Amino acid sequence: MTQTRTIALAGRVRARRLRRTAPSVEIIALIVAALILLVGVIGPWVAPYNPVKVDIGSSLLPPSGAHLFGTDATGRDVLSRVLTGARTTLGATFIVLAITVIIGVLIGLFAGLVGGIVDEVLMRITDVALALPSIALALGIAAALGPSLTSTVIAVAVTWWPGYARLIRAVVRDIRDAEYVVNARALGVGPVRLVLRHVLPNALDPLYVQLTLDVANVMLVISGLSFIGVGAQVPSSEWGAMVASAADNVTSGWWALVFPGVAIAVTGIAFNLVGDWVRVRTDPTLRGGGAR
Amino acid sequence: MARYVIRRLALSIVVFAGLVVLAFVMVQILPGDPARAEAGRNATAAQLAEARARLGLDKPVIVQFFGFVGRLLHGDLGNSVVTHRPVLADIVSVLPSSLELVVAAMVINVLVGVPLGVLAAYRRGRAADTASRIIVLLGAALPVFWLGLLLQLLFASKLHWLPLYGQLGFGVSVPTLTGVTSLDALLTGDLPAFGSALVHLVLPAVTLSAGFIAVVARTVRSSMITTLDSDYVMLARSTGAGELRVIVRHALRNALIPVSTILGMQLGWMLGSTVLVESTFNRTGIGAYMVTAVLQNDLYAVIGSILVIGVVFIIVNFVVDLAQLWINPRLRGELARSRRRRRPLPALQGSPA
Repeated sequence: MTQTRTIALAGRVRARRLRRTAPSVEIIALIVAALILLVGVIGPWVAPYNPVKVDIGSSLLPPSGAHLFGTDATGRDVLSRVLTGARTTLGATFIVLAITVIIGVLIGLFAGLVGGIVDEVLMRITDVALALPSIALALGIAAALGPSLTSTVIAVAVTWWPGYARLIRAVVRDIRDAEYVVNARALGVGPVRLVLRHVLPNALDPLYVQLTLDVANVMLVISGLSFIGVGAQVPSSEWGAMVASAADNVTSGWWALVFPGVAIAVTGIAFNLVGDWVRVRTDPTLRGGGAR
Repeated sequence: MARYVIRRLALSIVVFAGLVVLAFVMVQILPGDPARAEAGRNATAAQLAEARARLGLDKPVIVQFFGFVGRLLHGDLGNSVVTHRPVLADIVSVLPSSLELVVAAMVINVLVGVPLGVLAAYRRGRAADTASRIIVLLGAALPVFWLGLLLQLLFASKLHWLPLYGQLGFGVSVPTLTGVTSLDALLTGDLPAFGSALVHLVLPAVTLSAGFIAVVARTVRSSMITTLDSDYVMLARSTGAGELRVIVRHALRNALIPVSTILGMQLGWMLGSTVLVESTFNRTGIGAYMVTAVLQNDLYAVIGSILVIGVVFIIVNFVVDLAQLWINPRLRGELARSRRRRRPLPALQGSPA
């Protein structure tokens, strides 16, 4: 019933929606996300102080004109560390997502196109990976590889690709027998061209949505692992590691704890909002009836 | 129906087998020599060789693998180099405490997430919906480990409303019966200790549940929107049933079917997330145990923790999937039809992306 109504009203609703598709919250989120990415690139150059320079004399200074975000227990400028930390945390996040997408797309395509026993085996492997709490699994793998940001990146990538493989496989299975794909085949289109021109473009929309939402998810796992101590090591200004090192002086210097956490939270909120927006924009079934 | 159960069981076994292979691979790539850990730091070369032979490390990898599987099936997860006790015994002693925390977090999760989702769906597009959207957004984006510290700072250090950490107040103790502190206090009839245990649970449970509430509220909202628009809800309204009754008895009951699957998976994820919460609140539990093991390079303890968390996760999901048969009559009907028509079975429970 909902569907008929939606179709009947589609024209009017769409006209109204179009005027509302870019409301202020999403625009702000987009701008914030862009700014965070910018900080990730230029952060180290605009940081007012050396983010790793220890100065015991100015330990745990509250926020002031000289130190906008205060200083931490070893006298390092928190603002400078948050700014440089953007590159560490987001850099690691994007590397994980890049690895994840490459592995996930390749395996998803392979499973979806070849089918049969190959598909069955690959999908059971993704079952195993998806059947475990990723934080615990990543923690174990990162520990196995030895504590470092690189191990964390590898560990999270290992636990994260199955979601993408599933996504791509589902799209491939959906369109494998579609008329235009069969026709393209009949016209003698080679497998590589078939995948690049006809299969992958269909998978891009859900892929973008998942990627934007996963910026926050992956970042939370990476900073969580650094917080535990298997990720970025001292004196790195990774946000999770900063929270961990501030934990000992919570009562005497809240600012060292609060600001890196706010950085993670704001980044997460911005990318989640952008992700939701991308989803509503790319999914025609969501465009009519509001985000479901 | 039997086919569904068997197929679901087979899937669980495959996942378990994968988990075991993964654990074995981790033993292989982990740095450190298990033989040296077994023989002790000051072992002679002969003792080391003897330990190596005893652990089967001198045999081919495939033989080692089957030895590993054999030991696992006997409940032998190896010994911890830190506690010098069998890993399984260690985990069995700390697991109840984690389950206590997870159950408490789950209660908060349901008590907050479900009403929030219902309210958002019922008042769709209004202020309550926006408010719930903000809470959902915060829940999804706030790092739990940071939230825990903030709550400690605010409610324990500044306001002194709740204890900073630990499981019982100073000078309070309960005998270990089940390992679940609150339950043990209750069983021994020690009500003050029970109160103390509950008060100590509040902050860690709230912290642990924060990220999960968002998912529950979101799922309830979208599933409630569908049921509120359905014909049977309209019918219920037209019979003159009160609005609350319509929402709870008719709309919510049906909306909770997809939510129950999510809750089952969340139970497993929460157990995994204890690694980010327990240490902060200085609680014993599998999360804190695993973190200590990781930081002390206690490899068998790390792998044991992953295996146990994985097994709990597999069992919970299996039980939840079976419970679906009971909760969702439509699924039973579908299974019966698919058998008659020899059609493929309906998809098993969806996996998270």
